[in-house]
Amino acid sequence: MKKDLEHSFVTQLEKNQNIVHKICRLYTDDRESHNDLFQEITIQLWRAYPKFRGDSKFSTWMYRVALNTAITLYRKSKRTIKTQDFENVSFKIASNEYDDTTDQQLKLMYDAVKELNDIDKALVFLYLEDKNYKEIANTLGITEVNARVKMNRAKDKLRKILNP
Amino acid sequence: MDTLEKLKKHWKSTSQEMPKLSYEEIYNMLLKKSSSVLKWILIISVAELLFWISILFIIPDQNIKIMQDMGVDTILNYANYLHFFIVGVFIYLFYKNYKNIQVTDTTKGLMKNILKARQTVRYFVYYNIGMFIVTSIALNTFFYKNSDQLYEVMDFAEKGVPKEGFANFYILTQIIAGVVILGLLLLFYWILYGFLLKRLKRNYKELEKIEN
Repeated sequence: MKKDLEHSFVTQLEKNQNIVHKICRLYTDDRESHNDLFQEITIQLWRAYPKFRGDSKFSTWMYRVALNTAITLYRKSKRTIKTQDFENVSFKIASNEYDDTTDQQLKLMYDAVKELNDIDKALVFLYLEDKNYKEIANTLGITEVNARVKMNRAKDKLRKILNP
Repeated sequence: MDTLEKLKKHWKSTSQEMPKLSYEEIYNMLLKKSSSVLKWILIISVAELLFWISILFIIPDQNIKIMQDMGVDTILNYANYLHFFIVGVFIYLFYKNYKNIQVTDTTKGLMKNILKARQTVRYFVYYNIGMFIVTSIALNTFFYKNSDQLYEVMDFAEKGVPKEGFANFYILTQIIAGVVILGLLLLFYWILYGFLLKRLKRNYKELEKIEN
């Protein structure tokens, strides 16, 4: 029974791991912390899994647990020397529609998102994941109106970071 | 915002250089232990509860004898029964609040419940510090008023302590000791809460803030 549960959990997480990696990348600065956070999220997801009833999609359920872990439960380590592993994160556009300038722009945008505070990062992340305001509000536990206004504020902040 | 829209458009289609973990690697993570803030909060909270409970049991025998000789042991016993009852209530409340902490809750709900559980422990600490202050004041006032009896009970004559002015000196040392202990406690909690809850409180405030 436990084996079945483990198998179904690991299979689903393996399939959806990209979501967790994206969150880890937003909330950490080096590969080691990224792996730490990924592990902590996995542990928290696994602990909560027996209560996952499947009324929502596994991925939808994951957003909440993964973000909660990144924002609230994860203990950021005090590493002083940051390895620059992720400095060169690049956005390889799948199609040839865009040139290097677009890549560069997106890279700058991504760096700007990383400069936001924990909550704004979560808002922008959910927005990028194409969640509507109702879903964003439900995940964070705020009203839809407030989610909308906070999102606009976050966009303003991004604009300021990009055009100081 | 144009660029954010662009980023959104390509967020899913981009092949960001994300690691790809295998089934075995993920499976092995299930066997690892959590190192979450919550675990530390639980450990520290239980340690605090135990610390304040155990303090009652480490009172030296000599002190108990002094209390008996001064005739305040019965009332102190009743105060202890009441104290244990209140401690029990706090432990129950902490357990109840801790059980409410669910990682599947909304972000705000999760933070709120963690802060609520911590608040129980904080009130418990306030209660203990309050008890410490009230008991110290009551006992020392009583001792001050019955300083002759205290002088005899504590064998100060044999120890060569002059009777003249001893009561004032005694009270002064009690006050200094009390202030030093309180200062150390406050410093300890200031560091502890800073370490554990700073980020959590900041994020909670951020979520609670209603933007206009």
